[in-house]
This record gives sequence, structure tokens and C-alpha cells, in this order.
Amino acid sequence: MVVEAVVESQLLLQLDTITEGLQIALSWPVIGWMAVGLLLGIVLGALPGIGSPVGMAIVLPLTLPLDATSAVILLVAIYSGAMFGGSIAAILINAPGTESAAATTLDGYPMAKQGLAKNALAIATTASALNGFLAAIVLILISPILIGVVLAFGSPEYFLLAILGISLITIVTQGSLVKGLVAGALGLMISTIGTGILSPTPRFTFGQFGLYNGISFVAALIGMFAFAEMMKLAARSQIAESDIELGGSIKDGILTVFKYPKTVLKAGLIGMGIGMIPGSGATTSTFVAYAEEARSSAADGRFGEGDPRGVIAPEGANNPTVSGSLVPTLSFGIPGSGSTAVLLGGLLMHGLQPGPTLFGDQLQITYAIFISLFLSNILIVLVGLSVIPYASRLTEIDTNIIIPVVVVLSFIGAYTLNRNWFDVAAVLALGVLGFYMVRYNYSVIAFVLGIVLGPIAEENFFRSLQISGGSYDIFFDPINRPLSFMLVLGIVFILVGPFLKPYVERTLDRT
Amino acid sequence: MSIKNKYEQATPEHVMLVVLLVLSVVFLIEPIVSNYPDDARVFPQMTAAVVFVGSLLLLVRNYLPGALGTVVNESINITTSDSSAQEQVAQREAEQTGSAPKRTLGREYGYEVNDTVFMVVSSTIYFFAGWAAGFLFVTPLFVLAYTTWFRIRTAVGVGLAVLSTVIVYLFIEFLLLPLDQGQILDFSPFLEPIGLVVGVI
Repeated sequence: MVVEAVVESQLLLQLDTITEGLQIALSWPVIGWMAVGLLLGIVLGALPGIGSPVGMAIVLPLTLPLDATSAVILLVAIYSGAMFGGSIAAILINAPGTESAAATTLDGYPMAKQGLAKNALAIATTASALNGFLAAIVLILISPILIGVVLAFGSPEYFLLAILGISLITIVTQGSLVKGLVAGALGLMISTIGTGILSPTPRFTFGQFGLYNGISFVAALIGMFAFAEMMKLAARSQIAESDIELGGSIKDGILTVFKYPKTVLKAGLIGMGIGMIPGSGATTSTFVAYAEEARSSAADGRFGEGDPRGVIAPEGANNPTVSGSLVPTLSFGIPGSGSTAVLLGGLLMHGLQPGPTLFGDQLQITYAIFISLFLSNILIVLVGLSVIPYASRLTEIDTNIIIPVVVVLSFIGAYTLNRNWFDVAAVLALGVLGFYMVRYNYSVIAFVLGIVLGPIAEENFFRSLQISGGSYDIFFDPINRPLSFMLVLGIVFILVGPFLKPYVERTLDRT
Repeated sequence: MSIKNKYEQATPEHVMLVVLLVLSVVFLIEPIVSNYPDDARVFPQMTAAVVFVGSLLLLVRNYLPGALGTVVNESINITTSDSSAQEQVAQREAEQTGSAPKRTLGREYGYEVNDTVFMVVSSTIYFFAGWAAGFLFVTPLFVLAYTTWFRIRTAVGVGLAVLSTVIVYLFIEFLLLPLDQGQILDFSPFLEPIGLVVGVI
């Protein structure tokens, strides 16, 4: 009886919070910023070379005058919109606006060449929005479970989780484990510049007052994602002009999606599942969804020659990846991709602490974010389908027009943060570093995660030591801190696993 | 192999690793030299130690023995997707991308300047000029120079320069940022009449 009453009161409390979240998401100006973000995301996603991380990074400092909820919802809407926008360039000019749309080119572009560009764009819009919509519902439904997990974490666990996140990213992203670890540790190291967290000691400032506040992680995000991406774009040769005409039918495209419900649902599950893994974004999920569809429908498929399922699968996976990646970002502060790393920066910049706070006192904001994701997927259908007739114009914009504008916005945006010239210099320096990190397969996300989570990791590290009276045993206590102990085991497994792999394989071969 | 040969074989990655190595040494030594208290010293030194060891291993990875060499060099990816699909995309992108280099002012006059180098150098000049004279008046010059170099139509270049200047001006007006003042030159008196007009509107 008592248990039932407690469960009932908890459910009512959850329902109240969801209602509060709905009210926030539908209130003005929040809903206005959501629409602006969505449009901006579609446009930025459609411009070749500009994706959601670049768009979100340059918009991030501009959100300073906004309230926290509006700012975060604006960023989430850009993220969601760019996922769809990226498919426009992928289908019409075979040059994906975002990396996550690369798999769409495989069948989207051949469809466009066959005079079915409108069909392909409508399939992309519908599959992306439909699954995004479903994934947002799943996200809202699983939130109560997440709350329980998040609230079980304390200081030692948060420190270890930051280290586990960086370690995990190093094995999820391309490149060697050592490169990933160097990138993550470098981020953590740079985050220590400025006044100490526990004692007011200026560290590595060398007498420069501009460095007393440290290097802003937002400036680092702008440098790593916007400036470095512009360097990459400058190096790229001009995209050959497309001779695609916007033929086909939007209605037929929409109906095609409903002909393949299994493909749609499978893509959604893949997208959401992979999105939840730190470090693996929509680029991975879309290729996995495409490969799975090509494998399971190989008998009657014409993959690579304009099979509509080849558009449904990657597009159906991209938006659920957004929902999936919000789980580790909001609950533990571990971003799943470049875009969620920028989102994490946005949360921290506006004083929203991922973890217990967002799933405790500020739970209504978390629900507002989830609900806005749900609403933005409805808007994607309306906006996405109406921009199809004009879509090709976006893809015709010369990248050399985009670059100086992004550079100007990056510098001004960085200066806006603290009126500090060191932040602008950081954009330039970290941009160049980011360019070479990408070129030589060093995980930029691990670096960014390090710089964003550095202060949190350091604070929790020392708080843990204060709790234990300076003893490191607090991290290795399986009886009193089993969660902490499991996280240590996880880190050890990730770091030592690759060393043991050859021996394990040899032993297995022998047996 | 002579030192000269090794120097010639150095890639930007080697330069980056040497920079990281030097940086990590600074983060290891500076807390000792400046006598930081324990709670300000341990964490940066811990992370710097990882950067130092990792960069060193990567720098000498071709000379590492057996298992250590394999671990440092081997690429690990637990979410590897269908690589054939990814290769197909890369191949198509290469086909779609024009092979001819971009038209630039330099190439027209017979000077070969790498496009990325031009972008970074012009942005660096823009940063220093902005620092010295404020971003407001430097921004249109940067945008015009960039678009002219890449032979963008003059009307488009001028339009972009005006748009960028308006964006900077909006930052000054609404976020009250001193972007019309540099560390050396101050152009704010020139803006006072415009500010009055905007105020009246």
C-alpha cells in the first residue's frame, strides 16, 4: 500500500514536471527561438562545409543575452535542423552539407539524377522528422530511469566519469588510443590555465591579467569547430556545378517512407542507440543504418543506384542520433558528438550543470529541451517540405563567401564572451591546432571534452580527496563506493584492453 | 640518416607533437618553479604527464619495440561501420570535386599561394589589426581583401563587407562592446554621429 502510494506520488510529480516543461517549451519567446534555430540549422546544414557543430559554435556566444532555456533550445533546434539540412546538398550536388549526410549521397544523388530529386528530399524530410519525433518520445519515457541513475553519482564518480568519457571517446573515434589520450589530456591540461579552482593561485598566466580567467571553453569550441572547419573548407577544391533539376513529386516521396516501416524503425533504433555512445555521432549511425539496410535488403535492393531505402535508412537514423546523444550529454556531461560538445558548452555557459541539477531542481528545463526536440521534428516536416522548391539555391553559395563571414563571427563571438583578446587569440591558435588534429586523426572531441570538463573533473577530484582525507582509496573502494570502483574497472579495461588484445586473440586462436 | 634528411622528412604532425611536448614540460615545471600549493599543482601536472609521455611515444613510434609499438600505432575503432560504403562516398566526392585549382588574384599574377595558408595568414592579420584598431573598421577591409583574392564578384564582396560591418556595429550598439576601439587606435569618436541617428530612430 505504502509502496503504491509512493510510486503514484512519484508519477504525479513526473507528470507535473513534464507539464511544466511543456509550458516552458510552448512559451514565448522560447518557441520563437526554436523556430529560428530550426531554420538556421536547415540553412547552415545545407551550405556545403558548414554543419551543426560549426553553426552551433558561431551562434553560441550570441546566445549570451538570452535566458538559459531559450539558448539551449535554440542550439538543440539548430542541431536538429542541420541534420535535415545536410541532406539537401547531399542529394542535389552529391556534396553533403554535414558529414552525417554523407551516407545519403549514395542513393539520394542517383535518385536526383533520375529526375526524382523532390522524392529524395521528401523522403529525407519525412524519415528524419518521423524518427526524430519517435526518438524524442522515447527520450521523455526513459527520463525517469535516467534520473535514478544520475542521482546515484557523487564527487568521485563524476571525476571518474569524466576520465571514462575521454577514454571511451579515444576508442570510439578513429585513430590510435594514445592519440586520443593525448588529445583528452591536452584539453584537461589547457583547462587548468587561470586562477586555481580550490585556491586562488594564478596558474600558467605568466603575469597576463587576460589569462586569469583561463581560456574560455566556448572560444576553444569556436576555434576547434568553426575556425578549423573553415581552414578545411579553404583547402577544398571548388565543388563542380550540379546540373540536377528539381524533378519528381513531394507527395510520392512522403508515401514511400510509409511503404517501408521496418526500415524506418530499424534506422531509428540504430540512430538512437549509437547516439548514446560517447564520441560516436550521426556520421557513424547513418553509415551503420545504411550498411544494415543494404545487407538485409540485398536480395531486392538496388543500393547505390537510387534505392529509396538507401535514403530512408541514413536519414531515419540521423535525427534519433540527436535524441540519443542528449542522454550522456545531459545526464553525465559526456557529449556524444561535436555538436553535443558545443551544446554542453552552451549548458555550462548558461549555468546549467549536467547531471544531478538538470535531473533534480531543473528537471523541467530538461523536459522542455526534450519536448522542444519533439516539436522541432514536427516543424521540420512543415519547414523542410516547403523549402524543397528553393533548396538548390542554398547549395550554390560559394564557400569563399562563407569563410570570411564565419571568421568575422568567430572572432567577434569570442570577444563577446569576456571582452578578452586572449579568447580571440585562442580561436586562432586552437583553430590551427584543431585543423592538424583532424588531419592526423587526433580526436578533437576528446580534446574539447577535456577542456569543457576540466574544471568539473578537477573540482570533483579534489572534493573526493577532501572527503577521504587525502586518500586515493576513495576511487577503489568496492564496498562503500561500488559505482566508483566499477568506473575505475571500466577505465582500466579501456586503457589496458588494447594491450591485451593480441594475447587474447592468440590464446583464442590456439584453443 | 643525417639530421638534414630527418628535418626534411618532418611533417606538421611532428611539429605539433614537439609543441605539445614543450607545452607539457612547461606545465610540469612551472608549478614547481612558482611554488604552487598542492591543490593547484597536482591536477595540471597529472595531465601534463600524460601529454608528455603520449607525445613522446607518438614522436618515436617508428622506433618502438613489439607490443608497445603496435599499441601506439594501431588504430582502434569499436564502432566501425561498413567501410565499403564510406569508400564509395569518398570516391564519388572526388569525382564530383573539380580538379582545377580555385581562381585567385595571386594565381592570375603568377604567384602560387596555398589557399589554407592564405586563409590563416589573412585571419591572423585581421586579428592583429582588430586588436590594434578595433574590429569595426578592419572587418570590411578583411572581407573585401578575402573576396577579392578569391575573385568573388565585386558587388558580392562589397555587399558582404557592408553586411559584416553592420553585424559588428550591432554588437557595439546592442551588446555595448568596444569594437570601435583598438589597443592602439580609437575610432569611437567617428561613431558618435551614427549613434545619435540610431538613437533618434
